[in-house]
Amino acid sequence: MIVGGCDVGSATGKAVVMKDGEVTSYLIVPATTKPEVTARTAMDAAIEGAGLTSIEDLDYIVGTGYGRLRVPFANENVSEITCHARGAQWLTPTVRTVIDIGGQDCKVMAMNENGKVLEFVMNDRCAAGTGRFFEAMARVLGLGLEGLSELSLQGKNPCPITSQCSVFAESEVITLVNDGTELSDIVAGLDASIASRLNSMVRKVGLVEEVALTGGCAKNEGLVKALEKKLGVSIRKLPKDPQIAGAIGAALLAREKLNGRS
Amino acid sequence: METSIKSKAFEQFSEAAETLANPVLQEWKAKGGRIVGYFCSTVPEEILTAAGVVPFRMRATGSTGTEESDAYYSSINCSFPRHCFNQALTGEFKFLDGIVCVNSCDHVRRIYDNWKRFVPTDFIEVLSLPRKTGPDQVGWYRDELAMFRDKVAKYFGVELTDDAIWKAIKLHNETRRLQRKLYELRKQEKPPITGAETLAVMVAGTAMPKEQYNEMLRELLDELTGSEGPGGHRARLMIVGGILDDPAYIQVIEDQGGLVVADSLCFGSRIMWVDVSEEMADPFQALAQYYVADRPSCPRMYGEHDNRARYVKDMTRDFKVDGVIGERLMFCDMWVVEHYMLDQDMKADGIPFLKLDREYITSGVGQLRTRVQAFLETMGR
Repeated sequence: MIVGGCDVGSATGKAVVMKDGEVTSYLIVPATTKPEVTARTAMDAAIEGAGLTSIEDLDYIVGTGYGRLRVPFANENVSEITCHARGAQWLTPTVRTVIDIGGQDCKVMAMNENGKVLEFVMNDRCAAGTGRFFEAMARVLGLGLEGLSELSLQGKNPCPITSQCSVFAESEVITLVNDGTELSDIVAGLDASIASRLNSMVRKVGLVEEVALTGGCAKNEGLVKALEKKLGVSIRKLPKDPQIAGAIGAALLAREKLNGRS
Repeated sequence: METSIKSKAFEQFSEAAETLANPVLQEWKAKGGRIVGYFCSTVPEEILTAAGVVPFRMRATGSTGTEESDAYYSSINCSFPRHCFNQALTGEFKFLDGIVCVNSCDHVRRIYDNWKRFVPTDFIEVLSLPRKTGPDQVGWYRDELAMFRDKVAKYFGVELTDDAIWKAIKLHNETRRLQRKLYELRKQEKPPITGAETLAVMVAGTAMPKEQYNEMLRELLDELTGSEGPGGHRARLMIVGGILDDPAYIQVIEDQGGLVVADSLCFGSRIMWVDVSEEMADPFQALAQYYVADRPSCPRMYGEHDNRARYVKDMTRDFKVDGVIGERLMFCDMWVVEHYMLDQDMKADGIPFLKLDREYITSGVGQLRTRVQAFLETMGR
């Protein structure tokens, strides 16, 4: 049985091919202004990576993400909330709380031992706690996203940054830069500020261990460290790229639909 | 709105919900009839009806922005008064002969101050509504309503006898009875009317003469009774919250496959679930008893949370509700705490609960869609 999961997000498109319950290939591509094209580009590459020739080789495909209604080849669509939880739980069965930090939103899901979502909260009203926030800060500081992560880990005295709004945080950062503050301390301060925001979201659904991070921003080591400090627990590192957790979840649901479960 | 109901009456309700001065009101106005706008469902429509004035529940249907009114408010004021006041400044409410405000919440209360100063209106009144629901508060509101009667009678040049008030009470109770009959149909396994359609019928009821409305609603009930809707929905939902007058919002929820079959809304069941008593000696006492104590309350009333939660729970049982959605306008401090507590109450009974924040004018449809879809998925639907 070969199934596919396609997660069309605001910043990237992700596709996963699964054969007999194992991920055979996956791909992440930058999002275009045409979700259909983003989906197709990611899926075609994942199919090629799996050594298959065409989309016809897949028995069932589930689409997810903001563009889930625009995945033309999907048999059905499932919300990214359900998919991220399912994907994270499959990758690490002991996980009960998933924090997904995507390009334009962040969400926290509480789930049971089967990966079923019990409760969720979501921030998609502003850029705080999203990839967009970090992109904006990296731009102001003349860094790439990787540079942001590395520099944060070197921060010794994270600056207090009170704004979580990306526009106001930018003004604070510019003030700090002009005061001659160490860049590493500024970056560590930004991570701490976003970690506070995520912490309050986690408190809304209730903190149950283990905690995992999914989405592109989970690769930001500085943020992971800051979040561990705020939450007071260690964050379980997923055995695969955390950015494809949603697409994996979609593929798993595709498999379940085929098996007639759920 | 998209609808499968083929009915002349429903078409008129739908049009009334999508406009401010609907054709029925325009006709009323053309014949020299008078219309008074009122904020909040705790203003007794009955007194206006008794004076031969059509009560119009204020809303900002059709508003596209708040650039005119933003100067009078701040960005942390609720979007409902900002949109309403914007419409007032741009002349959308010129069809009204007066305004009645109430201290329902601080955001709405300040409309009175702004309106009085900046929108020339001869008849503008404010009612002082108590925050507790005991006999003393009922007594207070009784006197407030009797004084309001005097002002209405004087301004509109009519005599408002107790008999005239009783007649209006009976008419409005008939409206409530018909609306409850409509809700009764939603208990069916395949209700013949959706949540979005029901809201349109309810909103229309606050925007036309009651005699005419009752006649049209009877017609609709005749058409719907005994019929079935398509069914096949993923879940039966209930909506609980404050001001919601836009059927399109419920439509987005229903487009995800859930059918809204019940509500606790002030454009919904809360304004018609119980009747004003027709047995008392004093009609103002009867009205005050109803508006302060007897009708299902809004969280602005103190000490009533348990009753409100019971009301919601009873309804989830009677309408076979699978999940409850709490909607509130951003910055509404009344509803934010209410929903938090209701969430706990519902979960204790194993009823899934979803909290949604919204702007008065429906926006961010993609975000709404994701939440509702995920909610249905968590329910295994």
